[in-house]
Amino acid sequence: MKPETQNKLAITVVVAAVVVAAAALIMVMRMSYPPDEARVMRLIEQQLAKQDGSAAVPALTEARVVRLIEERLPAMESAGKGISEARLKKLIDERLAGKSALPDKEFEARVEKGIVAFIEKQRRAEQERPNQLARNLPRPNKSDHIYGNPTAPVTLIEYSDFECPFCKRFHDSVKQVVDASKGQVKWVYRHFPIEQLHPVKARKEAVAAECAGELGGHDAFWKFADRFFELTPSNNRTDVDTVLPQIAREIGLDEKQFASCVASGRHDQRIDKDIRDAQTSGANGTPWSVIVSKGGKTYVLSGAQPQAAIKQLTELALQEK
Amino acid sequence: MRSYVSDLYTAFARVFTRAGYIVLASALALAAFLFAVWFPNFALIGEVFGTPDVALIAKLRFALSLLGGIATNFDLLSAGYTVAIAVLFGINTAMIAYLLTQKRVVAAGQNLVIGSGGMATGALGIGCAACGSLVFTTVLSSFGAASAVALLPWQGEEFGILGAALLLVSVSLMSRKIAAPGSCETPARGVGRTRDRIATPVNVKRLTFTQLDEVTKR
Repeated sequence: MKPETQNKLAITVVVAAVVVAAAALIMVMRMSYPPDEARVMRLIEQQLAKQDGSAAVPALTEARVVRLIEERLPAMESAGKGISEARLKKLIDERLAGKSALPDKEFEARVEKGIVAFIEKQRRAEQERPNQLARNLPRPNKSDHIYGNPTAPVTLIEYSDFECPFCKRFHDSVKQVVDASKGQVKWVYRHFPIEQLHPVKARKEAVAAECAGELGGHDAFWKFADRFFELTPSNNRTDVDTVLPQIAREIGLDEKQFASCVASGRHDQRIDKDIRDAQTSGANGTPWSVIVSKGGKTYVLSGAQPQAAIKQLTELALQEK
Repeated sequence: MRSYVSDLYTAFARVFTRAGYIVLASALALAAFLFAVWFPNFALIGEVFGTPDVALIAKLRFALSLLGGIATNFDLLSAGYTVAIAVLFGINTAMIAYLLTQKRVVAAGQNLVIGSGGMATGALGIGCAACGSLVFTTVLSSFGAASAVALLPWQGEEFGILGAALLLVSVSLMSRKIAAPGSCETPARGVGRTRDRIATPVNVKRLTFTQLDEVTKR
């Protein structure tokens, strides 16, 4: 073999290996959060494996499909590649009633086809998941802390953790973008303290920020947040007992009322709601932001991305009608 | 240690004096770097590029602006190992390709395994220190990975460091193989069969013709 051919062959092998590795990674990622139906299917397969004798197989498959359709997929639309839900259901009903004219094999094949089509549909939906989930986020309301023009066409909703060093960086970047937007972008701050990483402190600081808002209005909330990020080292190294009263004093709040508010736990529910909203909208870490255009289109931005990226994205959202 | 450095130098001189391997290593290093930096926002990039009303230049500008995330979305340690993993991945793969062109498939295969292990481990460490490893929290969230990561002293960054170390080991081992001559080992004097000793190019170089005659007469 000529050296040139060898070179080409070697490079082809390496490129193929990289492609295979990438494909494997994608498959692993998909398998890690499979559609519920795939998970159910696996459980059934495990059950089947435990049972000895093929007679149990058709009955169990039928039972699984009936449950799938009747309990879990009431709103399933006609599946593109396979048979429709109605047809599938009819087939199974007939089968269970003993009226099915279909031979066993054909029945199984059709049922399988319907399930495969459904799973395929779920996978496609999974790919579009981040944006679909983000559309469910509560839109800005009176209880939200808004920075910038409240009637701005573009909204950046940020879920943040006061102990996250990246939230600290992101805080400054967003502020500069909003300030430079000439009233076109507003910023909504919501809480997502990650208690596994920053136990006790992150939540207490979120509560303290809410107390600042309660006692001094939205301005006090933003003053508190700005000063907090300015003063503290992040990563659960904040001396909350010193810093929180200090900031309250600096921004002109009554220290006793502030301390009493923090201890009262009356903002816990709000923090919990923010955490729940963030999680159900697909947030995995902080900072996690959703940029919403005037028309309602959402762009999910994960992490402390640079100011230039935030600016570009808000400009894209501004172009949306 | 000195011999490792010397092997590394020799191997680099053999592999990276050829344009093809430089291009291959650079392209793969860039691809790995882009993957790591864009990873948290793949869906967003897809969304932006899928928007028909936006000009291509604006889309590209946005994608490029996200690269600044290496400074804002990574701490010094994670940025360091992310760049190291990308560069080592490029070098590693180019060296494997070189070994394959030399028909040293076994050596290439061994290092492919170590290198892939390094990449896989390194990939688990992609993310930021504050929210833990993103691969863990996004992909493995159903297994309670976020809590598990919180128990680690560097919140998952260990995987990135381990990945970089494995890739470094792989590059180092390959350097030894590349730097070593592509022939059988020379046995110690008086050991082994004469035929084996004279068959190696190293022996032929070292023996004078007179000595060679003596050896063959024995």
